[in-house]
Amino acid sequence: MNIYYSIKRDSWENSLLRLSSSYIIYGVTGNGQSTDYDLISERNISSLVYNRPKPATPLKTFFLPVRENVTADTVKEVPRIIIGTPNCDIEALGILDEIYLDESFEDVFYRRRRESTIIISSDCLEIQEHCHCTAYNINPFSTGKADLAVILRHDDIILRAISEKGIELAEKSFNAVRSDDRTLASFVESRHHETVEILNRTGKGLPDYRTTGRLVKAAGESVWKRYSSKCVSCGACTTICPTCTCFLLIDKPGFHKVKQMDACQYPGFERVAGGEDSLGKLPSRFRNRYMCKYVWKPAKFHSTACTGCGRCIEACIGKINKNELFRELAK
Amino acid sequence: MPPFNNIYKPFRAKLTKVIEESPLIKTFVLRPDEEFAFKTGQFIELSVDGIGEAPFTPSSSPLVRDMLEVTVMKTGYMTGYMHDMKPGEYMGIRGPFGRGYPVERFFDKEVLILGGGCGFAPIRSLLYNLIAISDKLRKVTLCYGSKTPEDCIYKPYIAELRKTPKFEVLRSVDKADSNWNERVGVVTVLLDDVKVDISNSVAVVCGPPVMMKFGTLKLLEMGYPEHDIYLSMEKNMSCGLGKCGHCMMGEYFVCKDGPVFTYAEIKNQPNIWN
Repeated sequence: MNIYYSIKRDSWENSLLRLSSSYIIYGVTGNGQSTDYDLISERNISSLVYNRPKPATPLKTFFLPVRENVTADTVKEVPRIIIGTPNCDIEALGILDEIYLDESFEDVFYRRRRESTIIISSDCLEIQEHCHCTAYNINPFSTGKADLAVILRHDDIILRAISEKGIELAEKSFNAVRSDDRTLASFVESRHHETVEILNRTGKGLPDYRTTGRLVKAAGESVWKRYSSKCVSCGACTTICPTCTCFLLIDKPGFHKVKQMDACQYPGFERVAGGEDSLGKLPSRFRNRYMCKYVWKPAKFHSTACTGCGRCIEACIGKINKNELFRELAK
Repeated sequence: MPPFNNIYKPFRAKLTKVIEESPLIKTFVLRPDEEFAFKTGQFIELSVDGIGEAPFTPSSSPLVRDMLEVTVMKTGYMTGYMHDMKPGEYMGIRGPFGRGYPVERFFDKEVLILGGGCGFAPIRSLLYNLIAISDKLRKVTLCYGSKTPEDCIYKPYIAELRKTPKFEVLRSVDKADSNWNERVGVVTVLLDDVKVDISNSVAVVCGPPVMMKFGTLKLLEMGYPEHDIYLSMEKNMSCGLGKCGHCMMGEYFVCKDGPVFTYAEIKNQPNIWN
């Protein structure tokens, strides 16, 4: 479903400010260099940016905080609106939902946050150096998992409703004007097409998701040794990844437990009390992340474990580029 | 706000008795604050308040609902604290978690059990279960190995088991003393003494990783099919919920998909023995 609406930018911003009395609003702001989520108020609403690629922080942090007490007796969540999320991060919610909303062990903290959050996505109309979502069959604009997408055109905001909930939001919360002719649709579709073309060009030579899995599985020890020689096990790649959600439970007095983000790249991640450690050696830890994303998670879950956002490449202080590795494997 | 099911929150259990099994192994008898049921081979996450939490498979009978026994070797930080605990203190329990032993698949068969060291703990729970259904089994043979006679655990229980019809116990130690009159050598030497109809038998292995590895290889050599060898895997099961990732063994979360697997299920997964 794609129903198009338009609204003047100042009316859109005024609507958001009105909504801020009942919702906490986060949006993507930034400068020429980088963008990130910020708490939105009258002070900074005009610095909201649209249609830029991924913000520095992945969306997962809104649902899985870096550190939280998970033995609390109540969960109080204030309704939130998050504006400007790119589709790579929205697609990444699929695997988070599979893990944390698993009906046999549902994480109530995650569920309440998901239920109390409205995500308004932003169609990417430009790309960053390492963006490669289309290599994994993910579009730079939301298709199914978001309700509403926003596109800035001159001084107008175009709203693309993707679901019934999106229609309701556009019409009731933003009083946007529905456009039934093809003008807005044609404009947006052509911009989508241009972005996809650029991504396809820059992602040339990258194997698709399934092929990557086969290549990773078949890759010999020397590849992992060579690429991991620059890895310092800092865990930046997993921390910044929109689909990595491993954690540690830390015990506190009163049988309280604090759930803290963890990373398979840290030494000791799989060590047992007896001393055995399957990931004790750096090349095996390094390989583990690739096997997890491209082989094991695809075998276990329906959703993708890599959405091609490229943040892990940007975050790596050893300048390890996974796409270089994949291109080498694909030769 | 209505109460909710919090998967991370333990319930309390009172420590009622501590039994010294060997210099490094103690059995902790716990009375949970609420009725607690588990299937043999499933595990629990046991907490020492404010110190830590670790996975243990109960060593008591799954048929008992008001008490629970956990046999623990003093190995690290959390178990070190645990070994200093006294009756009357409280511990935290989450669980039970995972997939236990599929005892219904053992019906009308001979069950060969290979255990080493503290790996006897889950096996004892299984044995309690097998005794309760012994009319449905042909025979149960326990091969148990420990480092020294002093390290042999559950001595009174073994004496009882030896008197139980259909149950046979073979033991070995790596290093004997002058009073030891059973086998000497690693546990797999006992398999040379076992008389078993492999075509109508299943094998269960539980113990330290190196013993699991060589035990499994020996069973395969004897002719056991891969799908008839049941392994209780030891990994760093931290959350027990298939979420935290610490116990991933290839595409499996050991905490949720295991900890009991057949060898056929996991033979192609990485690092199964360490």
